[in-house]
Amino acid sequence: MPVIEYKCPNCGSGMLFDSATGALSCPSCGRQDNIEQIPDPLKKQVFTENEVKEYHCNSCGADIVTEPETSATTCSFCGAAVVLSDRLTGDLAPAMVLPFSISKDEAQQAFKKWCRNGLLTPSGFMTADRVKSITGIYVPFWLYELHNKIEVHGRGTKIRTYTQGDYHYTETQHFDIYRRIRLNYVNLPIDASEKMKDELMDKLEPFPYNQLKLFKTPYLAGYIAEKYSYTDEELYPRAKEKTSSYIDSYIASTVSGYNSVSYTDKQIDTTLKNADYVLLPVWMVYYDYNRSQYTFAMNGQTGKVVGKPPISKAKVAGWFAGISAVSLLSLKLVSWMMGGGFL
Amino acid sequence: MRKRKHLAWMAALILLVITLVSPLIPMSVVSAADSKNLIYDEANLLNEQEKSELNALANEYGAERQTDFVILTTNNTENQDVELLTEDFYDEHALGYDKAHGNAVILTMDMYNREVYLAGFYKAEDYLDNGRLQSIRSRITSEFSNGDYKLAFEKYIKLSYKYMGYEPGVNPNNILFNGWFQLVVSVVIGGVVVGIMTYRSGGRVTVNRATYEDSSTSSVIDRQDRYIRTTVTKRKIEKNNNNGGGGGGGGGTSRGGHSHSGSRGSF
Repeated sequence: MPVIEYKCPNCGSGMLFDSATGALSCPSCGRQDNIEQIPDPLKKQVFTENEVKEYHCNSCGADIVTEPETSATTCSFCGAAVVLSDRLTGDLAPAMVLPFSISKDEAQQAFKKWCRNGLLTPSGFMTADRVKSITGIYVPFWLYELHNKIEVHGRGTKIRTYTQGDYHYTETQHFDIYRRIRLNYVNLPIDASEKMKDELMDKLEPFPYNQLKLFKTPYLAGYIAEKYSYTDEELYPRAKEKTSSYIDSYIASTVSGYNSVSYTDKQIDTTLKNADYVLLPVWMVYYDYNRSQYTFAMNGQTGKVVGKPPISKAKVAGWFAGISAVSLLSLKLVSWMMGGGFL
Repeated sequence: MRKRKHLAWMAALILLVITLVSPLIPMSVVSAADSKNLIYDEANLLNEQEKSELNALANEYGAERQTDFVILTTNNTENQDVELLTEDFYDEHALGYDKAHGNAVILTMDMYNREVYLAGFYKAEDYLDNGRLQSIRSRITSEFSNGDYKLAFEKYIKLSYKYMGYEPGVNPNNILFNGWFQLVVSVVIGGVVVGIMTYRSGGRVTVNRATYEDSSTSSVIDRQDRYIRTTVTKRKIEKNNNNGGGGGGGGGTSRGGHSHSGSRGSF
């Protein structure tokens, strides 16, 4: 039976993960179970290799309709939290999970607050009264550990200018630069879900890794979870690309005191030490405004909101005119104080 | 929300008003009755209508600056030095806006030697020092050479008026004082700021290169900065010559004891 549900041992209701206490709790009788101490039903299961095509809800018996990458969801008929365990075992078993610390209500409040702070968003949007849905999703991420061995050769110049007699002298000292650097990155997150936009997920960082827990399925109860669409090898180029700008700026920080530096040779030898499969918490907010849908993502731990809101042309024009007018006034004032007359 | 919209409109309006109205403000009305003759066209370079137009202009701008903007053209049959000629003319006619021998700027055209001399007395000596008079002269010389006297005189009056609006000692041609420059800079600032606001409205990346760096194991293992050589280039310092185009001169004191600034040149 690949479907796991969490029945309260006291009253038999479906139990859910509670972001406030971090425990598996029963909404009916209030029972709280410490997830780290209860045995994970996943561990007791053995699966055959071939993929299961159909899932049935243990509570009501209805077909559970899911997308192929969904690993946890709620039954669309009875609302019970279900975990599709065959999508979380073997290669698909996450090493760790970062549980939600922001509840749905808190997420809604935080999103409303964020909308009110939008300086360029239309007034109608700022009230955030048309939030269509808000969904808690555990998004699959790979946390990479990359070790880099870097060797850089370059030329640097130090320039000194001085005047002697009728001549202006420019003295340039040339240097040969060499650096050998060991540069390691740990827990570099790359989102492994096909559905989530990379630029949206990149902006959600950083996630507080000290809250990471060993993976247990009860953390997923009541949320949607996905399995990765890309393996760590497939996303390795993206991880390298993400670190390349970090590496460049690290190299630049080791070369100081020069007027100009040009690199003649830069060798970066990267090894993939380790990649952990983790699930990170994201609230997805779908918002209908002016007949189009806007998607926002919120970090389920820190509450950081990202996503492109609609931009009000009137407000852009207003800010533009206002800032320009203030700048012009201050320029006039400066020129007046310099004795140049106000107009 | 309405309030914010109003503010935006107000700001737009202020911007518009500053831009449109500022060039018009100096136009104060001077009645024809109390205008005095400031154009002494002894060489007959102007017709009657041009003369009266220039005179009206000189009176109007002169009142703003409390200074007489005088134009003297002469055939200089006695072949007198143009500077001396200007000084004597000032002494003789007792020119001045505020009193006899008071604030005045004189533009003298010597048609015999094809020379032009600009002199500033009292307030105009302070506000139109040699450098500023030089700048005015260099801007109107080409019109003189072309025989476009009316236009040159007009520019002389307007430039003198404009330069007297700046405190003595500052460079009136400083680009900071240019209204168009100020407008362009403010619009650019507005554009850049709003651009950044728009760009950042979707959230921004708040991780940097140090976020995922394992600083305990990362370090520079080996470094070398080897000196190779020194190269030196030299450039001769240009001595700039202020008095290009046969110009030059400066201030002095008239025989009547009135000190003045000045700039002379040929055309």
